[in-house]
Amino acid sequence: MKAPAEGDFTSRLRSAAVAARVGLWLGVCVAIAFVTGLISHYAQNIDHPIPFPTSPSWGYRVTQGLHVTTGTAAVPLLLVKLWTVYPRLFARPPRRLGPLLVEVLSRGSIGVLVATMVFQLASGLANSAQWYPWAFSFRTTHYAIAWIVVGSLVVHIAVKLPIIRGALGADVDDTTFDRPEATRPGVLSRRGLLRSTWVATGVAVLLTAGSTVPFLRRVSVFGVRSGEGPQGIPINKSAAAAKVAPAALSASYRLVVGYDGREVTLSRSDLLALEQREEELPIACVEGWSASGRWSGVRLRDLLDLVDAPAGRDVTVTSLQEKGPYRVTHLQGNFADDDRTLLALGLDDETLALDHGYPARLIAPNRPGVLQTKWVARLEVDA
Amino acid sequence: MIRVRAGLGALGVLVGGYGAWVLLTRQDQDQLIGAATWLAAGVVLHDFVLAPLVLLLLALGARVLPRQVRAPAVVGLVVLGTATLLAVPVLGRFGERPDNATLLDRDYTAGWLVVAGLTLVGVTVGTWISRSRHRTTDDLDGGERGPGAGGR
Repeated sequence: MKAPAEGDFTSRLRSAAVAARVGLWLGVCVAIAFVTGLISHYAQNIDHPIPFPTSPSWGYRVTQGLHVTTGTAAVPLLLVKLWTVYPRLFARPPRRLGPLLVEVLSRGSIGVLVATMVFQLASGLANSAQWYPWAFSFRTTHYAIAWIVVGSLVVHIAVKLPIIRGALGADVDDTTFDRPEATRPGVLSRRGLLRSTWVATGVAVLLTAGSTVPFLRRVSVFGVRSGEGPQGIPINKSAAAAKVAPAALSASYRLVVGYDGREVTLSRSDLLALEQREEELPIACVEGWSASGRWSGVRLRDLLDLVDAPAGRDVTVTSLQEKGPYRVTHLQGNFADDDRTLLALGLDDETLALDHGYPARLIAPNRPGVLQTKWVARLEVDA
Repeated sequence: MIRVRAGLGALGVLVGGYGAWVLLTRQDQDQLIGAATWLAAGVVLHDFVLAPLVLLLLALGARVLPRQVRAPAVVGLVVLGTATLLAVPVLGRFGERPDNATLLDRDYTAGWLVVAGLTLVGVTVGTWISRSRHRTTDDLDGGERGPGAGGR
């Protein structure tokens, strides 16, 4: 079979007019996903030169929900965008050195852009469904490639700026920027194709966003979570997976709070004897799902006061689980001191379920779910 | 304009360069090979599998579908095709874990069938509307001539 040439693609739908319009919304999605991704990456860092805010408590829920939603919306947009410019893949390179060099640079930047965009969307979608068929570190790679996406997108916009401005400034049926061969009317009009794209994008969002938007739960048939779970909240890592059940259910469980050589040891009944507070706080996971719960337990600051820990100190939180990247987490001083941060013992007027971190778990406002450590064994205030 | 473009281009190279540096310096070689494989596979799968497949479908549609069905069918293809691609991780249930019943806790196949059914209803209604509207209009020919169609 002969390789196609650019001129073989004659539909007038494959035009700069359509590409620029779809590309504009794709760019908006990329920008939102990038900014919310940076927020999530920063929130998961141990060091916060600028303290990550503890308010609003639902902040991370919104930013991470937006991150996954805009990434999802980008899938139909990217596919239609690539369809409209597909003939360019087969364009014959110019012969003269100068134009050839420009062409190589332009095509190179587009190659990088397409490879990294597809990578981000595919790896992000797989990750949200907890499917990790790769050898690389997801967080590092997804973060690094996000910068390459944005960088190559900015280069792409710089190269195409006159066409983008011209196409967006003119009517969608304007032919100024069309390829000379692209004259055959399509099955749809250009407006029709654009409307179909917006519909497909909206459908993609509706079918998935229920994992984080409660009123869409019934509509989102492709949501990774229905929102159901023990005590009305889904779980990410089960007690079985963390292999904590014997230690967590043991009568000899004790929480150790330490600061500067001082230690206080508390059983679960000791914890229940302390003043109990109640807070409505969300669990918002990096995978984009979230759910709000009514947690009860001891204010973390009250526990730190037992060892006379000064305000503003970071706290190292250690779980009963023996392995896993989040066995030990770092709670920054502003989170440790926030009145809403609890060592939760109960959820929704019941004893905390084992899968939610029984005998005690950390729950703090505006914090990524992976850092809301379950089965807490030790709180060590930094010296 | 040329200054703005040059500035944007330089900014893009800088931002992308930072990403490349982070990518290359924070993981070992096996991980980098894994990432490079995924980067290349995405382009190859789109450009040489998915895009030709869509061309083939469009060419096929242009042959077998009556005129008034074509436009609604293309809309249906855009909506259902992208939704299906999006749903691959959940339809395959690759991340399923026996110890966690709250993960992937829907019947995704049934969900897909509902979406496909609704799309079909939409295409049927669309066809019916375009039939009653364009009964006398000489409709425009459609379909993309695929690769190998040759010349103009």
